[in-house]
Amino acid sequence: MRRRPGIGGLQTAAAARDQYRLLGENVAKIRTDLMKEQLATFRSQLEDFARKHKNDIRKNPAFRSQFHEMCAKVGVDPLASNKGFWAELLGIGDFYYEIGVQIVEICLAMRAQNGGLINLQELCSLLRQKRKGLREAVSEDDCLRAISKLKVLGSGFEVISVGKKKLVRSVPTELNKDHNEIIELAQAQGFVTVDELERRLSWTSGRAIDALETLLEEGFAMIDDGHRDGRRRYWFPCVSSISSLGGNDA
Amino acid sequence: MAGAALPTAELTTSGRPILLPNEIECSLLSNVELEPEGSPPLSSSIHLRSSFLILTTHRLIFVSDSSAAAANTASYVPLASVTHIFLLKKSIKSMFGSPRLKVQLSVGSDGRVGGMGTRSIVATLVMRGKDDVEAFVDKFRQNWGARVWEREKESESASSGSSLVVESSASSSGFDSRGMRVVGVAGILRREQEMWESTDKSLQDAFQDLNALMSKAKEMVMLAEKMRLKLLSGPSQAGSSNDEELGSKEEMQDWLLSVGIVSPVTKESAGALYHQQLSRQLADFVKIPLERSGGMINLIDMYCLFNRARGTELISPEDLLRACSLWEKFDVPVMLRKFDSGVMIIQNKSHSDEEVFARIKLLITRPDALQMGVSAGDAAMTLGIAPAMAKEHLLTAESRGLLCRDISPDGFRFYINLFPEIRTDDIYLVKDQGIYATWIKCASSPSRLQ
Repeated sequence: MRRRPGIGGLQTAAAARDQYRLLGENVAKIRTDLMKEQLATFRSQLEDFARKHKNDIRKNPAFRSQFHEMCAKVGVDPLASNKGFWAELLGIGDFYYEIGVQIVEICLAMRAQNGGLINLQELCSLLRQKRKGLREAVSEDDCLRAISKLKVLGSGFEVISVGKKKLVRSVPTELNKDHNEIIELAQAQGFVTVDELERRLSWTSGRAIDALETLLEEGFAMIDDGHRDGRRRYWFPCVSSISSLGGNDA
Repeated sequence: MAGAALPTAELTTSGRPILLPNEIECSLLSNVELEPEGSPPLSSSIHLRSSFLILTTHRLIFVSDSSAAAANTASYVPLASVTHIFLLKKSIKSMFGSPRLKVQLSVGSDGRVGGMGTRSIVATLVMRGKDDVEAFVDKFRQNWGARVWEREKESESASSGSSLVVESSASSSGFDSRGMRVVGVAGILRREQEMWESTDKSLQDAFQDLNALMSKAKEMVMLAEKMRLKLLSGPSQAGSSNDEELGSKEEMQDWLLSVGIVSPVTKESAGALYHQQLSRQLADFVKIPLERSGGMINLIDMYCLFNRARGTELISPEDLLRACSLWEKFDVPVMLRKFDSGVMIIQNKSHSDEEVFARIKLLITRPDALQMGVSAGDAAMTLGIAPAMAKEHLLTAESRGLLCRDISPDGFRFYINLFPEIRTDDIYLVKDQGIYATWIKCASSPSRLQ
């Protein structure tokens, strides 16, 4: 095209741009058609897979976790949305979202006792009790995945590692390093005393008391002043699984 | 003599082959012919006609079908001497004729098939029966690949590390041949065993299928990435408020979602159609719980309520989050709100911050509140919302300068902020109007609670 001056030139330029745009759209359309086709193929392959192995996924936790790992490697997230093919054809979404809802309920029910921190094993066993009617086994890995999905909703659902155990936090309070160390120490006997903290961790008494008071305020710790030696013990329900003691009069 | 070069398989009196220990029968085809190719001396001795072909984990057993023969004869080809299985050719010819599978066998120097030989011949299995050939070929390959006979030669402790299943495969403990009776404890144990083995095998199948699926998924992901980049670069074009383009962008996001790739909600695009629909649905659903809980509700509580109401086809937490984030684009009377601590709530638009602060101020300037302050619980009772959210509001009010906090052994309490009223140049001055004066009056009044 020759550039012509004046209105004519502008009009030609505009027409040229339009033509390019149409061409670009066509190219894009071809690509989207290709994508649609690929998607359809993928979907049918997934359907085949689902037909043969849907039961395996539901019944076998090891296979499930392997499946998740492979998805993660490839870069897809089967639990991202209920609309995805994965959820639709494998039914894997409902399984995890249901677990999520049940975990929230359990954490809420136990909050009065443990302030919002619960041992992962305790959570899993309570979850299994709740699901006794259904015949699908739930592994710890499943719980962890469900919780990691719940994290996006705010409200602080998170799994933290303290020492050898994993704790599930369901309140937005953050625990700093001092708190973590106290809870780790408490795993041995279920409680700590101020002396123990000063001795084992070489803290000043001010630091120990400060940290313990915060944990007390948030509801993670309980005070026990009834011992003969008169020293105050701070019990942590999240690591000592008091609920499993049942009718034990300690 | 047909079949002279193939080792003879033993049969029971009723014509069933006697299986070796650990050998499992997999498949049965009728009317199969084994046709060797190549030079005559070898080929004629192997040629078999109209046999039953039984595929086991260790061998291919050909049982001759001829009713004319007095005694049934059978021969077998050990899978160990199969060196190659050619692909099943699909051509126009094969559509009309019977399927043919070419197999390469290693032959010893004396012309007998079996064991490792130096030469090899190619034979063709012509399947004239009406059975499912594809399934048979698959199983053939699997058994051949599994090489069960080799594993047995190794030590008995076959905890097959190749399998990724946590339950250890119990295939090393013996499995009696089919002659065993099916009654009694032994029978029960055997059935358990069989169930384990079949689960194991089906899981191996599952893993193979999973691998194939994942490689396809990888391709999809790469394609989707290209699409996603195109999506993100889209808005940069000048004046692209083209309706058509927006529509296709939504479609693309829907597809990405189907595959499981989460794409960001760009400012212009409205996210996947699915989320838009969900967003509207949620806005309607949320009205009743909001009223019940005083105008605001925790996002996680909403997740539980909504999913419980749904029953099946539950939504994921991310779905919920996206749907709520889309509210600001539509004209709905609810909004999503995020506090500094990370807690997210849904509240009525009518419940603006200013309104809440006004109510808090009213609450906190009451005489008893001036003396004792307000805790989260008190605020919750008065405002009619949950304590956790009351606390959030009090904290926000504090960050705006409306309140002061007081942390004591009694707990966490809030008082009205008097500091703005105190002038730095004359700190003892008390203005007659103003909260400071009221506070002093209350604080020094004799009705103070001890």
